[in-house]
Amino acid sequence: MVSKRFIAKRLLLLGPVLFGVATVVFAILHLSPGDPAIAIAGERASQEFVEQVRSDLGLTDPLWEQYVRFLRNTATFDFGESYQVRRGTAVGDILADRLPITIELAVLGQIAGLLFGLPLGILSAVKQDTLTDHFSRVGALTGISVPIYWSGPLLILLFAQVLGILPTSGRIGSTYFIDSKTGFILIDTLIAGNLAAFQSAARHLVMPVIVLGVYSMAFISRMMRSSMLEVVRQDYMRTARAKGQGAKTTVMKHGLRNAFIPVITIIGIQFGSMLGGSVLTETVFEINGIGTLLVEAINKSDYPVVQATVLVFAFMYTIVNLLVDITYSVLDPRIDQ
Amino acid sequence: MSTKTHSSDVERSIVDRIRASPFLTELLSNRIAVAGLSLIVGLFAVAIYARLVYDLDAIVATSFGSNPSEAAPSAQFWFGTDGQARDIFPRVLYGAWYALKFGTATVLASTVLGITAGIVAAYYGDLTDNVIMRTMDVLLSFPSLLLALALVTIFPESLGLWRAVAALTLVYTPRFARVVRGAALKVLEDEYIEATRALGATDPRLLIRHVLPNCLAPITVQSTLNYGLAIIDIAALSFLGFGANPGDPSWGMMLANGVEKGLFSGAWWWSFFPGLFLALTVLGFNLLGDGMRDALDPRMRDAVD
Repeated sequence: MVSKRFIAKRLLLLGPVLFGVATVVFAILHLSPGDPAIAIAGERASQEFVEQVRSDLGLTDPLWEQYVRFLRNTATFDFGESYQVRRGTAVGDILADRLPITIELAVLGQIAGLLFGLPLGILSAVKQDTLTDHFSRVGALTGISVPIYWSGPLLILLFAQVLGILPTSGRIGSTYFIDSKTGFILIDTLIAGNLAAFQSAARHLVMPVIVLGVYSMAFISRMMRSSMLEVVRQDYMRTARAKGQGAKTTVMKHGLRNAFIPVITIIGIQFGSMLGGSVLTETVFEINGIGTLLVEAINKSDYPVVQATVLVFAFMYTIVNLLVDITYSVLDPRIDQ
Repeated sequence: MSTKTHSSDVERSIVDRIRASPFLTELLSNRIAVAGLSLIVGLFAVAIYARLVYDLDAIVATSFGSNPSEAAPSAQFWFGTDGQARDIFPRVLYGAWYALKFGTATVLASTVLGITAGIVAAYYGDLTDNVIMRTMDVLLSFPSLLLALALVTIFPESLGLWRAVAALTLVYTPRFARVVRGAALKVLEDEYIEATRALGATDPRLLIRHVLPNCLAPITVQSTLNYGLAIIDIAALSFLGFGANPGDPSWGMMLANGVEKGLFSGAWWWSFFPGLFLALTVLGFNLLGDGMRDALDPRMRDAVD
């Protein structure tokens, strides 16, 4: 049974956490030494003009007034207008364009990680302390240790430059023009019924998904291994074997289901490094998601964009972890304080 | 007097416990941990060698005129030269010193801050605990690299890599605080704590002399795992342009320049070697941390059928 109390409690906690997150973002931006008024007016603007811009932005108001206004705007998803990245465009619109790109990448990376991480972890546990186990554990640790901004460029060099079988960067070949309906390029190309474009988009995604997927694969296989090792020692496993069930069936039927539960929590925790990784991946493969947007906005002192992007990242991370906790409580009803 | 005798008894019993504990034996018989340890020892050797032998100013300065630019690896330039005609080999070795220096600073600072926050929260409880831990929760609700990216902007650019250290310290502190708080809560239930308090020990003394030493195991594992993460994250911030200054022999900076300016025009060595050293370093810490976790967790020892 799903514990309604548990879910209600988690949902209630969401408010204070998001409030705290918004406060931290507000504090960071007000502590940073850059001056948004100068960023808008330009370095060479006259003193009066800069002052004019500053009071227009409400930056001359008392700090608490600015804080309250910021919270109110954030609660209504009003992030203001971009100063620099796309001057005068509502930040919400920029995010709506860019967010699906990052989500598509992160979700595909996560799926790839699960697809390879789970079998690897199971194999490692079943063959504990054999060469297979050592090999896959060291492989997983290597996966976490190799920086994306090194493996990514090397993959580009090999597959795009030397072998020429995959495209270097971007999301789709420059000859395709696809209407953005959902923002997810794989879905948009399918909606347009353009299979050649779909293929091009998929080929563009191969390398970014691999570098992100390796990262998540490493975490998942490690967790799956230790969780599986825990489970195989349980009494019900011995009982199943004693009843004459084969080793393989026991592992698959009883072991897997129970071992999978703790792995779900790692998916939530690890989704954060996935989002961090997407910033690096997008930079390496020149994909214009919200990762590259954040880096660009910081470099150009575009504060509304910086604050909205960081908020959205934290929001996604919090929501994913909430969903993970709820899934966990559904799968393991003992989680109910 | 009596307090002194008592506390030295406790200390002796801790030493005995550490000696008797199978942790070190277990760790050294773990092949994965030993592999990690060897990599780290090698790294320390390289870092110290580079620090003693090379002159930082000389390897930061451009060397047009004396060296060819973007020369492939050869007997003279083992790792080739970069776009500023600098010999890459000494720069990569010096990068080990940079990685260790800034990595250690980050881990040390976040460990100390985390220990303080965690122990204070566990000991005083109630409001103090709530204020500290809820703040940590909020910091933990940001993806770590993204929070670091936002925090880096607070610090002046002139700080160079110390900017990255400061930002990442704030990012990692909550993890330590959580681990320490959990361990400290367990220790605080022990009877000897009550006894020490009855003997008139002050709060700081009680926490530093009696609670902290008993929380060291989980702290050590967390620090080791975080070491690798700190080194890779510092390099990532440099790669994105928020950290090392141009010319600094930091692996992240060399990678950024090498990828941007050299990789696709054929000068693969420019980014390949810094990246290789970075990956091996992080792998070393991850192997050791993983082995430590195994050694501390006796449930993981028995083999399956």
